[in-house]
Amino acid sequence: MSFVSNPSLRGSGSASRFAAFRLPVTVALSLLIVTIVLAWSLAPSLFTSYSPVVGVPADKLLGPSFAHWFGTDHLGRDVYARVVYGTASSVTSALIAVVIGVLFGGLIGLISGFLGGWVDVIFARLVDVLLAIPKFLLAVIIVTAIGFETINAAIATGVSAVAIFARVTRAEVIKTRQATFVEAAFLSGGSRWFILWRHVLPNASRSILPLAVLQFGESILVIASLAFLGYGDPPPASDWGLLISIGKDYLKWPWLVYAPAFVTILTVLSVNRISRWLRKTD
Amino acid sequence: MSNAYLTYAAKRLGQAVVVILLAYIFTFVVVSILPGDPITSVLRNPQNGFTEQEIAEIIAAQGLDKPIIVQLWNALSGFLTGDLGMSMRSNRPVATLIAEVLPSTLILASAGLAVALVLALLVAYGTRFVPKKYGQGLLRGFPSLFLSVPNFVIGLMLIHIFGFQLGLFRVINPDSFWATFFAAIALGIPVSAQIAEVLIANLDKEAEQEYATVARSRGIGQARLFATHLLKPASLPVVTVVALTIGELLGGSLITETVYGRTGIGSLVQRSVSTQDLPVLQAVVSLGAVVFVLVNLIADLLYPLLDPRVKIVGGRKRSPTTADEPSIGATKAVAP
Repeated sequence: MSFVSNPSLRGSGSASRFAAFRLPVTVALSLLIVTIVLAWSLAPSLFTSYSPVVGVPADKLLGPSFAHWFGTDHLGRDVYARVVYGTASSVTSALIAVVIGVLFGGLIGLISGFLGGWVDVIFARLVDVLLAIPKFLLAVIIVTAIGFETINAAIATGVSAVAIFARVTRAEVIKTRQATFVEAAFLSGGSRWFILWRHVLPNASRSILPLAVLQFGESILVIASLAFLGYGDPPPASDWGLLISIGKDYLKWPWLVYAPAFVTILTVLSVNRISRWLRKTD
Repeated sequence: MSNAYLTYAAKRLGQAVVVILLAYIFTFVVVSILPGDPITSVLRNPQNGFTEQEIAEIIAAQGLDKPIIVQLWNALSGFLTGDLGMSMRSNRPVATLIAEVLPSTLILASAGLAVALVLALLVAYGTRFVPKKYGQGLLRGFPSLFLSVPNFVIGLMLIHIFGFQLGLFRVINPDSFWATFFAAIALGIPVSAQIAEVLIANLDKEAEQEYATVARSRGIGQARLFATHLLKPASLPVVTVVALTIGELLGGSLITETVYGRTGIGSLVQRSVSTQDLPVLQAVVSLGAVVFVLVNLIADLLYPLLDPRVKIVGGRKRSPTTADEPSIGATKAVAP
């Protein structure tokens, strides 16, 4: 019975099953951060008692302290409150961008991968074109054409992400379509649309999810960049990119840049970590 | 130069031309068909003080009164002959405006690419040598950290630390050596992340190959193994990844130029955006697509010549390890 004491067998019982479901610490932390950020965007007033718009001029440009976690800006407004209230627009616009990318890109990929033939050829060229135009330039030209608002920046970001979703969905659909169970479904008389809906879509969606999460993080960055250049809502809006842009004129008071930058980086880092974890567990 | 290679090259060249033409048409459509009609709204802006007659003249000169398909045809034939039209604001040829600022952006972009390559190589080299105990994991986390930091934040941090605190360069003189140096770092860091990610993955893969085990069993040191065995096969696929980051470099230089107050394509775009100078914007965006497609074409044509393991079958590249080969193909997105 020597193998029982074999150390490699240790923990083959319930402990390892528990370990298999345990979140890595960094992922748990990332989920916590994303939850807090989502809570900020849903109910900002729960997290701060200061106003993001009206400041106390006497308290202008104070350093970070217990009263003002992220300090105050040139109008005496609490920077933490500005960041918290700016979350809704920074995060929802990134969500809108991802939804646009997933819906349109997914649809293009699904149709071209499933139907094949000349439909596939036409969509493949369209995707090539979208990928060929540098993403940020594409977003800039679209937002210029439809107007400087955060929602338009989100649309522009979403359009520039359509191509990558289309490409990944198409690859997944083609992979699934060649699977034996799909062939079986065809042979047992399933209609094209039924198979598309019942078999191909659920299978393809599994690899779309990590990509969507990753794209969410990237959209936050792109929208922040557009806001930084002044292509989003004008002040007194407090999108993260806009806050950093305002802060850059007050570099002597560096928290005006570092506080919103820190929140942006931490959020995107967490989102990316979650995406990598989703890809690995799949 | 086998027959198969020439067929492959011809096919890729044809594809590239088609994509460039379509990209031009696409940007044209975005600019002219979207709602809002920015062109006449700029002209009718009372600040510009154009009379109705002048507006009509400008519209006629730009051909804006013709049907959209005729406009497209005129623009496209101009584009093919190198005529990018006239700027709506300064009444000068767009090509001249771009040519004036191009050198500055080229310097910044190539410096940024150099920074990205050096940084990626250092990080990848580090993951081979730093033991697990002493922060190899930290090094492996670098690419994903670099990807999470907006490049304007890096730019501002560098200005704050080296410009304000240490007084190494003056922010008001954007063309000085140090200002260019730090702008290149800000531009290069996010780009290096993508390169480092692929390089690290490839090095890991190569280190497990039999030839590496054989070399190690012969007693070769880590440093020599890296330099003489692993680096070449691991960095060949990086050629295509570098080509794909060109778009990132162009987009990033737009922001970096704003942060550092440099003149360049980025500042030209900024100015044209705020004045809604659409002919300039359209020209820059389609030239961006041209550069991207051409660089990727060159990378794709070069790659089979550099890496003898890549075989061309039926006009397509086949690489020996198709499963996890990163991003082969002209415009395939970078594996995140």
